[in-house]
Amino acid sequence: MDTFNKRTALVVKILLWTAIAAFFIWGFSQGMFRQIYEQPGLFLELLGEHVLIIFASGFAAVLIAVPLGIFVTRPAFRRTEWFIVTVANLGQTIPSLAVLALAMGVLGIGVEAAILALFVYSLLPILQNTIAGLDSVDENTKDAARGMGLTNLQILWKVELPNAVVSIIAGIRTALVINIGTAALAYLVGAGGLGVWIFTGIRLFDNSYLISGAVPVTLLAIAVDLLFRYLERVLTPKGLILAREANEA
Amino acid sequence: MIQFDNVNKVYEGDVKAINNVDLTVPDGEMVILIGPSGCGKTTLLRMVNQLETISSGSILLNGEDVTTLDKIEMRRKIGYVIQSNGLFPNMTIEQNMMIVPQLLGWDRAKKRDRFNYLMDLIGLNPDEFKKRFPHELSGGQQQRIGVARALAADPPVMLMDEPFGALDPIIRARLQEEFLQIQREVKKTILFVSHDIDEAVKMGDKIVLLRDGEVMQYDTPAEILNHPKNEFVNEFVGSDRVLKSMSLYTVKDLYKAFTLKPNFESKDIRTINEDTSLRVAISMILNQEADQLVIEDNEGNNHGSLTMDLLEQFLHKEIKGQEG
Ligand SMILES: Nc1ncnc2c1ncn2[C@@H]1O[C@H](COP(=O)(O)OP(=O)(O)O)[C@@H](O)[C@H]1O
Ligand SMILES: [Mg+2]
Repeated sequence: MDTFNKRTALVVKILLWTAIAAFFIWGFSQGMFRQIYEQPGLFLELLGEHVLIIFASGFAAVLIAVPLGIFVTRPAFRRTEWFIVTVANLGQTIPSLAVLALAMGVLGIGVEAAILALFVYSLLPILQNTIAGLDSVDENTKDAARGMGLTNLQILWKVELPNAVVSIIAGIRTALVINIGTAALAYLVGAGGLGVWIFTGIRLFDNSYLISGAVPVTLLAIAVDLLFRYLERVLTPKGLILAREANEA
Repeated sequence: MIQFDNVNKVYEGDVKAINNVDLTVPDGEMVILIGPSGCGKTTLLRMVNQLETISSGSILLNGEDVTTLDKIEMRRKIGYVIQSNGLFPNMTIEQNMMIVPQLLGWDRAKKRDRFNYLMDLIGLNPDEFKKRFPHELSGGQQQRIGVARALAADPPVMLMDEPFGALDPIIRARLQEEFLQIQREVKKTILFVSHDIDEAVKMGDKIVLLRDGEVMQYDTPAEILNHPKNEFVNEFVGSDRVLKSMSLYTVKDLYKAFTLKPNFESKDIRTINEDTSLRVAISMILNQEADQLVIEDNEGNNHGSLTMDLLEQFLHKEIKGQEG
C-alpha cells in the first residue's frame, strides 16, 4: 500500500512536470512570453511595483499584527481578543475588490491605496497565527516559568515567542502568497504591477500580455512560498522539531 | 521555615478552597500535603510562592510575610517542581537547568560546575545530556531534570506538586528513593503534594491530611497510621494501616526493643538483615519462606530470631502501646 502510494505520487509528479514543461515550450514557441523580452524595462518596472506593494503591505501588517497578537494573548487583555479578531476578520470577509475601492476612497488613486488594501487584507492571517502560536505553549510550561521567577517579559521572550515563531512565519507566508495574487488587482486603483499586463491581455484578447503578466505572478507566489517554508524550517528551534516529531509518533 | 497562619482561600464564585489552615513546615524537613482530589493541596502550595493570592491570614517564609516580598526575587529562591515537569521544549537540558542561575547572573564557570554537580546528583551523565532537548529524554529522565532544575540555584525552600505523579510505578519508586537520598544530602525545607498515602509515608517527615481545605491531621507518618485522629483519617489511610506502619520500622528497631538471645541452634535457618523493613519481614514469614528468621546486622553478627510472635509483641508495644 505504501509503495503503491509512493509510486502513484511519483507518476503524478512526472505528469505534472511534463505538463508544466509542455506549457513553457508551447508558450515560448508561440511567443507568449514575448512581452517580457520585447519590453524588459517595462517588465522590471511592473514586477518592481508588484513586489513593492506586496512587501510594503506585508511588512506593515507584520509590524501591527504580531504585537497585536501578543497584546490580546496577555491574560489582562484577553477580553479584547474577540473584538480585535472580529475587526481583522471584517477586513478579510469583504471582497478584495471592495477593500481596494475603500482604500482608494481614503487615499485616492496610487500605490498607497493598494498597499493599504493589502495591508488590511494581511492582518488576519498573521494575527490569527500569532495568537495560535502563542496559545500553543503548554500552560504548565508557562506556570513552571512563572513559579521559577521569570518575569512576564522573560516568559514571552524566552518561552512563548520561540514556540510561536513557526506559526507566525506560516501566517506571514499565507498572507504574502494571497497578496501576490490579489496585488494583480492593484492596477484597478492605478498602482501598476503585473496586473497591468493581465488586464491589458484581457481587454485586447492578447494572450501574450496575459501570460507575460500572469506567469511571473504565479512564479513569484511559488518562490515566496518556498522561501518562507525554508525560513520556517531553519528558524524553528531544534527542540521544537523534536517535540513535534515526538507528538506525531 | 514556612508558617501558615490562619490561611484562607476563596476563589471567584465563592469557592472556598482553603479553610483556616495553621501549620509550620520546619527547616530541613519534608512535609507532605495529602488528601482527596480537589481538597486544596495545589492551592495551598501555590499561595506560598504567590502564584495564587491569599484571601486572608498570612504565610511567613523564614519569618517574612510572603505578600511583602518581591514576587520575582522570592520565586527565584524557591524551587518549584510540577507533575508535568514544565521543561522548556525549545531549550537544551543545560539551558533548562541553568535558567534561574542565568537570571541571577551567575558566570559561566559557576553555572557549568553547578550543572555537572546536579547531573551527578540525579545520576545522569552531564556531557551526554547537556546538548539534548527535553523530548529526547524518557519521562523519568525529564522529571529528574525538573527536580534538578528546581535545585539549580540552591534554594532553601522547595515546593513540589505531585512531582512523581505521572510516572509509572517502578520509575516512580526509583525516583522517590533517589529524591530521599538527595534530600538527606541537601536538607531543603520542602512542601510536597501527593495523593498517594504510600508515597507520603515513605517520603514525609510529617504528613498534612487535608479535606475540603481543612487540616484533618498534621503528624508524623507513624502517628497518622497508628493513631488516626478521626474517621476520615482512618478511612483515608486505609484498613491496612497497621501493615503500612510496619514499613516505617526496620528489623533493627525490633531487636533493639527486646533483649533477644542469639540463635545458634541451626545453621540452615534463613537470615534477615537488620535494615530490612518489618513489612518485608512479615511477608517473608507469611510467604512461608521460614517460620523464623535469624537477625543479622551489617557486620554479620547474630541478634536472635524473628518470629511472627515477636512481630506481634512489637506491634503491641510500639503501636498499640502508645494509644491512650
Ligand atoms: N482557579 C480556580 N478558580 C476557581 N476554583 C478553583 C481554581 N483552582 C482550584 N479551584 C477549586 O479549588 C478547590 C481546590 O483545588 P486544588 O487546590 O487544585 O485541589 P487539589 O490540588 O487538592 O486537587 C477545588 O474545588 C477546585 O475546583
Ligand atoms: Mg492538585
